[in-house]
Amino acid sequence: MNAGGEAKGEAGHGLHFMTVTAAAHAIAHKELSPVDLMKAHLARIEKLQPTLNAFIRLDAEGALKAAHAAEVEATAGRLRGPLHGIPVGIKDIIDVAGLPTTCHSKVLQDNVATADAVVVSKLRAAGAIVVGKLSTHEFAIGGPSFDLPWPPARNPWNPDHHPGGSSSGSGSGVAAGLFPMALGTDTGGSVRNPASSCGIVGMKASYGVVSRRGVFPLSFTLDHVGPMTRTVEDNALMLETIVGHDPLDPGSVAAPNGHYRAALDRGAKGLRIGFVRHFHEVDMPADPEMTAGLEHVMRTLQMLGADVRDVRLPSLVEFSAVNRVILQSEAWSIHREWLQKRPGDYGKLARRRLMPGAFLGAGDYVIANKRRAEMIAAVNAALAEVDVLLCASSMDPPCRIDRPAEVERTYPRQARTAFNVTGHPALAMMAGLSSSGVPLSVQFVGRFFDEASVYRVARAWEKASGMDKKHPAIG
Amino acid sequence: MDKELMQALARRAGLDKALAEFPDDVAAAADSANSVTARIKVPADPRAEPWPAMKPGDGL
Repeated sequence: MNAGGEAKGEAGHGLHFMTVTAAAHAIAHKELSPVDLMKAHLARIEKLQPTLNAFIRLDAEGALKAAHAAEVEATAGRLRGPLHGIPVGIKDIIDVAGLPTTCHSKVLQDNVATADAVVVSKLRAAGAIVVGKLSTHEFAIGGPSFDLPWPPARNPWNPDHHPGGSSSGSGSGVAAGLFPMALGTDTGGSVRNPASSCGIVGMKASYGVVSRRGVFPLSFTLDHVGPMTRTVEDNALMLETIVGHDPLDPGSVAAPNGHYRAALDRGAKGLRIGFVRHFHEVDMPADPEMTAGLEHVMRTLQMLGADVRDVRLPSLVEFSAVNRVILQSEAWSIHREWLQKRPGDYGKLARRRLMPGAFLGAGDYVIANKRRAEMIAAVNAALAEVDVLLCASSMDPPCRIDRPAEVERTYPRQARTAFNVTGHPALAMMAGLSSSGVPLSVQFVGRFFDEASVYRVARAWEKASGMDKKHPAIG
Repeated sequence: MDKELMQALARRAGLDKALAEFPDDVAAAADSANSVTARIKVPADPRAEPWPAMKPGDGL
């Protein structure tokens, strides 16, 4: 294990590894041209896309044109918002007007979006520039598949390895410096999985604080849209930009406090942290390097002055089962007609993962949702005693992408679905590097609408460990 | 789940085409559904409400 150790994989810090916060500051102070920033990223994309397959659709021409417009505005002192001139990648289940939303599937290969999703509109209003649409597991559920119209994304820390999913291109591209921020979606952990596998920061905020309108659904009551960045501060800034009540999204809520950077640098001193050990020690015993990484994070936070104690939640195996029954039932309602008429237009993995809903009964779905209510109460009770939870994200380091049996074995070995079931805010980030040089990970979870405390503890760990300074050596 | 029951349920769900073209995938999906429900503890209180609760009003 190489947690927090030497800077293995650190590369030169060109414009492509500049943070969102630093780039936005430099553009606002006329120290950086949005055109130069975009050109640096497009050059990086041209170099690495053939290896990483992060994009399904690159819109270089549109991005460059928008960067020129951003430069004119910045020169005139007219900034659209806090992300003026910053490139952003969009997972290809999220609508961008004029570009196809394929969901990485033959089923929707020619589905051109007529309007921006709400989250994309908010990013554009803040000045961000869409670079293109990013690879995903098919319909955000399939897995790394080789029987689809586009190849799967790969992990920049080692392109033979899986970048996690389903927001695969988002994780791969942010980690590799193809763009400094991306949108992903998370129904069973699909923002936090690639964040874990690619060594970046991925946040799933409280259910309902980010609009899902214009995002192709997988499971209505589990779906979240979330920011993916290389630093905690960038992530909080991006989340501040995309939150907001949407009266046309039935699950939308008004976040009581959208100032996620307010407590960012208050440190860990005095924070009460509940360590959910049984997730990775009993329920799904983790790889020893992952366990060591989690212990290292816990001890570091203790040394910084946090009060860490063990807490118990329902079994991870049951959380996972509840997630699956709900997800597969809701997903079946979405895909039923296509699966009946065009089963061959799906890849094998998506077909297998979307059809179980046909064999679940209405009673199964209601029982899962009854148990869900108890699980929400259990997590709320734990969070009444502590400020945040610390637990595993993945139980294993990312495996090779070309070994289907290993992908199938490791994919469900994770502790992320629990917080899709309950809707609590949860963030995954790098905990170190494995002996083979791929990222290890940790997850922090907070009370409903208390994303600020999640960011606070994540920032304390990042600052102490220097995880934000580690980048893959690729390119 | 035996094969006959699986096939009957698949046909009831309109998956005849999938059953003909991808029988292994349909069988795998049925097995997956069958195994997952057994892992959930049924709440002991029969009055327990599912989440989310019905909400009246014009929120939609």
